[in-house]
Amino acid sequence: MDSKRTREPPDAWHMTDDLHVEHGKGDPFAAAIRATRMSMLITDPRKPDNPIVFVNDSFLRLTGYGREEVMGKNCRFLQGPDTNPASVAEVRAAVAEGNDVSIDILNYRKDGSSFWNALYISPVYNDKGDLLFFFASQLDVSDRKLSEQQIAADKERVEQAVKERTCELQAALETQTALLHEVDHRVKNNLQMISSLILMQSRTIQDEAVKQSLITMLERIEALSTMHRRLYQSQDVSKFDVSDFARDLVSDLLATSGRPQITSKLELEPIVVPAEKATPVALIVNELVTNALKHAFKDNGGSIGIKMTQPDGHLILEVSDDGVGMDGKATDGTFGMRLIRQLGRQLRAEVEWRNASPGTRVIVRMPNETEQKKETP
Amino acid sequence: MIEPLKVLIVEDEALLAMELECLIEDAGHHVVGWAMSSDEAKALVDTGQADIAFVDVHLADGPTGVDVAEHIRQSGRPMVVFMTANPKRIPDNFAGAIGVISKPYTMNGLMSALHYLQEGVRRPPPASVLPAGFALSPAFASAWAPSAG
Repeated sequence: MDSKRTREPPDAWHMTDDLHVEHGKGDPFAAAIRATRMSMLITDPRKPDNPIVFVNDSFLRLTGYGREEVMGKNCRFLQGPDTNPASVAEVRAAVAEGNDVSIDILNYRKDGSSFWNALYISPVYNDKGDLLFFFASQLDVSDRKLSEQQIAADKERVEQAVKERTCELQAALETQTALLHEVDHRVKNNLQMISSLILMQSRTIQDEAVKQSLITMLERIEALSTMHRRLYQSQDVSKFDVSDFARDLVSDLLATSGRPQITSKLELEPIVVPAEKATPVALIVNELVTNALKHAFKDNGGSIGIKMTQPDGHLILEVSDDGVGMDGKATDGTFGMRLIRQLGRQLRAEVEWRNASPGTRVIVRMPNETEQKKETP
Repeated sequence: MIEPLKVLIVEDEALLAMELECLIEDAGHHVVGWAMSSDEAKALVDTGQADIAFVDVHLADGPTGVDVAEHIRQSGRPMVVFMTANPKRIPDNFAGAIGVISKPYTMNGLMSALHYLQEGVRRPPPASVLPAGFALSPAFASAWAPSAG
């Protein structure tokens, strides 16, 4: 039905079967059209208002009209209150331009009931290009339309449900995030307050030893502060970047140690540990570095080395100095040493002190399953 | 010797303000005032004594630290450094501020930041390295630490 022109002389068909009348029934094509279960009609655009000049019985069965009620009428009587005006306009435009058109349109039967009509209209031209007829077929597709509408409605319902659920989850997530930020904010503020209290108390103390031990305590709390700040700066609060922490800590401790002749040498592979190990690891690093800073060097300078590697599922931390060495003096009794030992146990770490001559080297080796950071998906 | 800074503290926690005052004075600078709310802060800014204001984002009258920074930007003086436990609250343009010191800061971290800021305010750009725990706003990063990009 794609060709606008038929190859047959159009008159041939017309001449053998004047569609207005009953003769010509012998023509097999006309007979087929009359008998088919497909509803079909023909209109004559050369007559005023493009009237129907032929309908088959199927059309009459589909629409409920009698033949005499439809012959000579324009097809618009099939339209009704809920027929989409845009569809009507589309059909009208195709007819006006002599084009074919295929459209699903809501039509009405004689009894007022409606049906979805898969309408197909094609123009019939003669060899000279004159428009002779429009040939139209109608198919009741109400069932298909209904299931389409049902599917669309179902889809919309599901989409709506998904949207609502997504909104709920989003809101829950936002609440969680807000809560996390609030708690984080309070923890940070409280850490800051604890530091402030110790710092200000220490300033009023005359006894140098007492003052020193308060300062040491302040440094431990500040190590935790630095750890906490680092932890919540990262995207993933379940992982703690030890190497970034060590870098911050060392620069912080060295910067204002008042001893510019002490330098640091950092060899830090990017390594993360699970957040629950952050506190003990941070405290151990702090103890080892402050220990070296305080005890390794007399009044002259020196170098502190910090190395972190992760060769085989173990985090290896080495803190070394080129200072006076352990000089046999047992430091086992101090609180700092106990702290390192106990935290080491918690981390299932081996802690080893070596006389490095010159200086001291402490090696902490702890199991750490997490992979090295960087582009892990 | 670089001339010391005249500092305005805008902080609603008395304890933190006290400590900050101690540390600032220890470092040889002067604290010219302490405000707990945005109104107090704006009034103190308008006296025109301070070179630099340390502004907490959350003040006694709510999250108004950014307003204070905006007020300071319009007044043209002093310069602003935010101090907050929640740096994400700061707008992208930093309301014209130099940068942010994240809480909890350490005593040494704050001392380093003070030294850096003294150089930056008195003899920009600063000669020292940007201290850990102190982050520059995009505008000041390009002016003071262009290589750090």
